[in-house]
Amino acid sequence: MNKNINTRCVVTGLGMVNAIGKNVEECWNNALNAKEGIAKVKSVDSENCYAHLGAEVADENLEKNDKVDRVAVLCMQASKEAMEDAGLTITDEDAKRFGVIMGSCVGGVVSIENYIENGEKTEDINKMSIGQIANNVANMVNAKGVITNIGNACAASTMSVAYACELIRAGVGDVFIAGGADAFASVPFAGFTALHALSENPCSPFNHSNGITLGEGAGAIIVESYEHAMKRNAKIYCDVLSAGISSDAHHITAPRPDGIGQMYAIRKAIEKSGIKATDVDYVNAHGTGTAKNDEAEFLSLHEIFDANDDISVSSTKAMVGHCLGAAGAIEAVYAIKALTDDKVPPTIGYSDEDKEALKEKAGKIDFRPNDMREKKMDYVMSNSFAFGGSNASIIFGKAAGNVNETENDEAVYVTGFGIVTPVGNGVENYIETVKNAKNVEEVSLMSALGKEDYDKFDIKLAFYRKLDKLSTMQVVSGLEAIKSSGFEFTDENAEDFGMIIGTGDGPLTTVYEFQEHITKEGNQNGSAFNFPNTVYNAAGGYLSIKTGMRGYNVTITNGNQSGLASICYAANEIKQNRAKVMLASGTDENSAVMNKLYTQLGQVAGAANDIYEGQEGVVLSDGSVTMTLENASFAKSHGAKIYAEVAGSAMTHEGVEIGTIAGSEAGLEDAINEALKNAGITANDVDAVFGFGNGLKEVNEIEKKVYASVFKKAMPVINVKNYVGEARAAAATLAAAHASLTLAGELGDKQNGYIFDGASVKKETIDTTGFEYVLATSYAAGGSYCVVVLKKVK
Amino acid sequence: MNEKELQIAARIKEMLSENLNIPAEELDYDIALFGDGIGLDSVDSLEIIACIDSEYGVAMTGVAKENFYSITSLTKYVVENM
Repeated sequence: MNKNINTRCVVTGLGMVNAIGKNVEECWNNALNAKEGIAKVKSVDSENCYAHLGAEVADENLEKNDKVDRVAVLCMQASKEAMEDAGLTITDEDAKRFGVIMGSCVGGVVSIENYIENGEKTEDINKMSIGQIANNVANMVNAKGVITNIGNACAASTMSVAYACELIRAGVGDVFIAGGADAFASVPFAGFTALHALSENPCSPFNHSNGITLGEGAGAIIVESYEHAMKRNAKIYCDVLSAGISSDAHHITAPRPDGIGQMYAIRKAIEKSGIKATDVDYVNAHGTGTAKNDEAEFLSLHEIFDANDDISVSSTKAMVGHCLGAAGAIEAVYAIKALTDDKVPPTIGYSDEDKEALKEKAGKIDFRPNDMREKKMDYVMSNSFAFGGSNASIIFGKAAGNVNETENDEAVYVTGFGIVTPVGNGVENYIETVKNAKNVEEVSLMSALGKEDYDKFDIKLAFYRKLDKLSTMQVVSGLEAIKSSGFEFTDENAEDFGMIIGTGDGPLTTVYEFQEHITKEGNQNGSAFNFPNTVYNAAGGYLSIKTGMRGYNVTITNGNQSGLASICYAANEIKQNRAKVMLASGTDENSAVMNKLYTQLGQVAGAANDIYEGQEGVVLSDGSVTMTLENASFAKSHGAKIYAEVAGSAMTHEGVEIGTIAGSEAGLEDAINEALKNAGITANDVDAVFGFGNGLKEVNEIEKKVYASVFKKAMPVINVKNYVGEARAAAATLAAAHASLTLAGELGDKQNGYIFDGASVKKETIDTTGFEYVLATSYAAGGSYCVVVLKKVK
Repeated sequence: MNEKELQIAARIKEMLSENLNIPAEELDYDIALFGDGIGLDSVDSLEIIACIDSEYGVAMTGVAKENFYSITSLTKYVVENM
């Protein structure tokens, strides 16, 4: 049975900073006045490069803050403006239903450059990842709900707005700051230089189409349930109707020439919004200005909108450049301003000759060259397409529309696993390790993949040689999960199959090495081969290319807990009828680079020991763990083996300093209580916890303290990190996978574990035969927590 | 191939192996690099162009496709244009 979940999601505040302004008003007025923000780059050395232009934010337009990376400075400034615009003040009670979802492509890459070029300072390390962005914003505004980042390159911040609405409609929050940021930096500049994708002249979308101009900036949107907004008498800009998200399953950098991925996303957004294509008045296009993008996008726009009497399309990238992970949010703000002011911003840079040439390509569509136009509008769309083949389309409306979002009441089942760890690849290897109670012995462990794995899943040289290790681990664990679940799909229903990838550090090793190379060889010598792997969603992109899965495909990143948060996210996609099957993964890489960084942070143990008895620091490790989640009727339709049910979940945040969790007990306590409530059970019903202790004193202490206060009884705790080390997001997913295997009896009747009782932790053999409800728990440095409730299926 | 050509071919092979992650044992001098052979694509060709430019100062941007067919044809082009 489906029920409607058409909670109105409204926009109540906007914030923006980019090359043509420090706030929404400036950015908007300058766009209407066709102001170009593109000039010779200052923050990056382009001397020996063939292209020299960029759309940078002037330093005087940016608040000073040396404590965070430039990407966070941008994001915090836009978020602050949005909060003030919305007139939001957050009480402690509100805070738990207030979340932050930020999108980014390159995250703290400026800090990676600083680290390498300016004395390898410890303070730069915690600023490197995308993960810190939403944390910094959450701490600034006291948000304690769902805090995460989306890492889908240039579509990231369209997805963040879409995810915020999904969470409001799922009932897990009332208010979100959604948006994204990216800072101008050497890595993307050198990377796009290597790909010959930069234009020598200011980018010219839908016109000369000879490349992009990079930009930087941030966009922030307060997305709020209508009810919440009305209760506090908020000013409402418009409704966020719905969105469409898809994957090309085609190429890691280029869009599908046939446009079908884009078209699916656009059509899905229209269908879910309950409007018709002919109702759309304006599209803020992806419009990067590369030949491949513009060709595919012309095709999609004509195919879908040629029946419209008067549809306008423009690319604001001609003025503010391609702001990568911030592009979606910045362009969403432009689309919202266009809608509410009834003014279409132009695509600038057309000569009279260009305008003539455009007429032929444009047909009936008004591509708005050079000048803004006033017209009455009811519905606008913003499109974003990214590396990895990611597509996202979102619709804003002046009225509530006829939103067509539903939720089913079927169970979500765990039906398969893929496990890549340093102690061996494949579920059977992991089961052996647990049954033999074989604990890790080294303090730094790395997974190994080779011919045997490639042959097992028919991965050819032409494919795997392109992948970095993070992506290789992801592809192998994903393929194993699919194989073990035994589901099949065809080209016709490939959009019903998707994935959520969770990662803490993402491709940090690849990005670091790319930066190291250009520091030595110059920005003109970046590697075209390695650059595609610097985006966080490359791993998920490759998996979709290899499998042909064209559905929802998002990479989330907020520390270790991303590997459990991926399960929450994936289960919600199935509940909300956007997918029949979702893969939920946790993947993180260990390497010489990662080892050096974690060692410098003082987190790596001197010796491996029992997690709760004597080990001081973590055994740094890696891996990729994927769980297949399916809705009950689909699982039944192909006779899937069911290991467990995902019965409930929660994500919380208790902001503390970036890099630690000391003092964030309340976050874990809330996460457990909320997850229990979500599953409809009480603390008394919980039979065991699959925990997250890793040898760091502050982490182990929080676990001990909170389990004692929540459960008020002796609680069996099982910890996968004794077997595989601190594999970060992979260990978080593995906790849930191990829990599911335990509930299904795959690990025997008894296994090693602990009894947590008040302040005492005792090693014990745990009889698991009576388990009915268990929890998987995880944390992220900074104070984010995720808890998943798994239930035995009889 | 003469000695000089052999030297260049060996260096090109080494660069392909290192920069494009192709096991050296797969790289016969005459195997098709694109299409059905090794399966290189347009991003790889950018990397090949960059390598040959930095190693030999030979610009291959916009050069006809057949010159990229194999290590042998790349070597021939480099020798003729050095």
